Amino acid sequence: MREYVANVVQAATSIFDGLSVTFSHFFREPYTIQYPDRMPIPVQDTLPYRYRGFLDVDLEICTGCLACQRACPIDCILIETRKDKETKSMLIETFDIDLAKCMYCGLCTEPCPTGSIHHTREFEGADFSLESMVRRFIKEPVTAYKPKKKGEDDPVVAPILERGKRYIAEFADPKDDAPAAAGKGG
Amino acid sequence: MLEFLNGLAAANPEVPGVLLRVAGMLAFGALVVFVFILPVAGITSWVERRVWARIQSRIGPNRVGPGGFLQWLADGLKNLLKEDVIPQAVDEPLFRIAPYLVVAGFVAAFVAIPFGGSLIIADLNIGILYITAITSLVVVGILMAGWSSNNKWSMLGGIRSATQIISYEIPLGLTIFPVVLVSGTLSTQGITAAQGWAPHTWHMFHNPFLLVSFLLFFVCALAEGNRTPFDLPEAESELVAGFATEYSGMRSLLFFLAEWGNLYVIGALVATLFMGGWQVPRFTDDPTLLAVAQFFTIFLKAYFWVFVAMWVRATLPRIRIDQLMALCWKYLVPMALLNTLGTAFFMVLFPEGSLVVRIALVAVVLAIIFVFARRVRFHLARARGLGYGAV
Amino acid sequence: MSVEIEFTDDHGSAGGFATEEMTLNMGPQHPSTHGVLRFVVKADGEVMRRAVPDVGYLHRSIEKIAEKVGWHGFMPYTDRVDYVAAMTCNQAWAMAAESLGGVEVPRRAEYCRVIAAELGRICSHLLAFGAMGMDIGAFTPFTHAIREREMINDLLEELCGARLTFNYLRIGGVAWDLPPDYAHKVLRFLDRFIPLVDEFDDLLSNNKIYIERLADVAVISPEMAIAYNLVGPNLRASGVDYDLRRDRPYSVYPDFDFTVPVGKGTWGSVGDCWERYIVRLHEMRESAKIVRQALEGLPGGPVIAKVRRNFKPPAGEVHIRVETPRGDQSWYVVSDGSERPYRVHIRTGSFSAMSIIESLSNGLMIADLVALIASLDVVAPEVDR
Repeated sequence: MREYVANVVQAATSIFDGLSVTFSHFFREPYTIQYPDRMPIPVQDTLPYRYRGFLDVDLEICTGCLACQRACPIDCILIETRKDKETKSMLIETFDIDLAKCMYCGLCTEPCPTGSIHHTREFEGADFSLESMVRRFIKEPVTAYKPKKKGEDDPVVAPILERGKRYIAEFADPKDDAPAAAGKGG
Repeated sequence: MLEFLNGLAAANPEVPGVLLRVAGMLAFGALVVFVFILPVAGITSWVERRVWARIQSRIGPNRVGPGGFLQWLADGLKNLLKEDVIPQAVDEPLFRIAPYLVVAGFVAAFVAIPFGGSLIIADLNIGILYITAITSLVVVGILMAGWSSNNKWSMLGGIRSATQIISYEIPLGLTIFPVVLVSGTLSTQGITAAQGWAPHTWHMFHNPFLLVSFLLFFVCALAEGNRTPFDLPEAESELVAGFATEYSGMRSLLFFLAEWGNLYVIGALVATLFMGGWQVPRFTDDPTLLAVAQFFTIFLKAYFWVFVAMWVRATLPRIRIDQLMALCWKYLVPMALLNTLGTAFFMVLFPEGSLVVRIALVAVVLAIIFVFARRVRFHLARARGLGYGAV
Repeated sequence: MSVEIEFTDDHGSAGGFATEEMTLNMGPQHPSTHGVLRFVVKADGEVMRRAVPDVGYLHRSIEKIAEKVGWHGFMPYTDRVDYVAAMTCNQAWAMAAESLGGVEVPRRAEYCRVIAAELGRICSHLLAFGAMGMDIGAFTPFTHAIREREMINDLLEELCGARLTFNYLRIGGVAWDLPPDYAHKVLRFLDRFIPLVDEFDDLLSNNKIYIERLADVAVISPEMAIAYNLVGPNLRASGVDYDLRRDRPYSVYPDFDFTVPVGKGTWGSVGDCWERYIVRLHEMRESAKIVRQALEGLPGGPVIAKVRRNFKPPAGEVHIRVETPRGDQSWYVVSDGSERPYRVHIRTGSFSAMSIIESLSNGLMIADLVALIASLDVVAPEVDR
């Protein structure tokens, strides 16, 4: 009999308490982010600096060293290079990244000497065919970048190289104060 | 309603009065079904989703119409346009009929549910008995759906539903007894008339046993309506979708329509039996204005309990089938019997009721609400206490 | 209201009715089999006679992949061993490679690893908590748990750029140092999170219906737990006080002061579903303590040791055990001195948890099976790998 009453009392009080918890949520703000159309700022801007989105390659500073191709565990990067007989410089003929295969692990960006291959904050890439998931970065052969001893002086390449260097530096020592995940509630 | 029909009969002496009355009832019934029940059931689905969402820190449907209000229409349209898939191995006639029976069961309950002093389809003298009986038609439909689906999960759901609804009929009936004892009639209008508009004149404050009865009735009604914590027939995490597993399109939606419509039936019954129904203070002599006030009174009271059912659903886990039975036979039935006896004794002691007891019970309920509010404040403070901000 | 179902073999024909058991196929697609698990259930009405787990629907041959992709390249694959708690799997692989290659990990890197791993543990337990509530029929705790989990995901995203498959650790350390102002952000999160665990208690743990559903259901005795090789929270809920972080310390865990929650039999008996549930809830609090201490005592220095890109550990074998949210995960790695591991074998907690289900299933109800799976916190990818 005592157990009977205790059961009833426990049921009543615990349900009462549970109801009070749920009722208190009527006075709290909802947490939903209404992606993608009702965002105060685009989602891409709320992502941290280290976000691993689609891979992008800055061909201006690509040295054609194939380090990224070797680092990739699933071989989703294909680079073909050739020595130009006349100018004695290296030409990059193909630079394909199969984004359908890519698992966004970031291993390819680490060995890159100039920070040419890097992750972007883009992530919306749904498509109807696998073929279109292959990003072909080179249409015509490009001359590979050669690091200069006394620093880059070309006004076009310099800012790109600076960005690349900063990207690599991130692995060892963070400098960029990434925009805080604003707009993510709380 | 009756006066109006009588007047109509007097104005047209060549038509037999009975015919006119039947025609009037049918017309009013159809009006209730299409203008009231279907929209209310639909809107309930939207309200439920919004209430759930807020409790779960979400927003809920908010795109169709202002605040997502027309979501129920969009869902209904979508489901009407969807293909009505009938699997090859099902028992086709039964499979097709089952949803209609379920809907018929809950719609028929509205016959005896009052919407106001004169707004009722038929003021049956056995009204409340009729409602408990006719809502059992739902179980036939669900059992049929479960069996004819030719699917083991569906069958388990159907059988669970049958077990549950038939068992819970008993405590449900027993919790109505005290009300009938106090008011001396089975007619829903008569029960309402036995109460006043002021809270302390409501049946739930008549004596302590009726207050308990009221809680038990709500629990049993939740079980009858297959609502959490008693939603075993369609227990999603256990039986996939229970009896509705094989249904698609509008047929599937009809089950849910019945569920949401049933919510209003539950609310209206609680309001009628225990909370004074449509009783309003007699502030005017204009019958139309009074009828409107009465309608909104009972509607708001009923909808409050619909809201409570949603809120309970968002809070509680589901109980197991053997615990469901144990709860029914070990707890609800004995307590309901005790309440009936207690009310009978109380009425022998105080044939006219006792104002002191009524006021005391109102005070008890107010105290519970106060404690509840304190508890809610405590939870809010805890969540915000340490720089939590608004969550 | 505990179940007492007595089953004898002649029950089926009691009262002259000839009844037969039915075979239910629960899964691979079923709402309560998280991921793709499959159970062949022999049931007599609602009561189960037998539930036979059928594993292998999520087999991705991760062990074989390791033999092909090399030491560095396997790191992202370890995320997929147990994608609910990827950080600890990362850690196991890094530790295996480091101990084979004799790499000394900088102290700051170890601290970063612990912070990340413990945040991941909270993440995983939150999911277990929410899924458990949902399987029992309460939907609200799930969304509340996921809400908090999102915040940890945000933190981890800031740390390593991904929300689920982190790939944060490297052989020799971690890939990135903590971002600026990270300690402050984590502490702010923990300050608001821990009171919410108490709220979860009020909402779900102490609910009478919830207790009735879980207490005294599928009780696993300590002997049985050890015999079936249960690990982690499942083992501790059975009353066996064993946690690798404390009893076979690795990384920098000896630096931290934390307690190991053990099942006490609060409502039912030690080793029932409710104990397995509450042990996880307590572990979240303990993990939060560890994260706090690690952030306070964070040493300076580099976060990664010099490791050759063409990493070739000398021939040998190593057995690494790591306490993941699902318990002792042991990695057996053999190197033949080449640039690829010769053999990798992973033994995970979920797999042994799956094996105990069959012996517990007799006499449980179908609803109990759902509770049992949820309380064992079986994660399908970890079962099959």
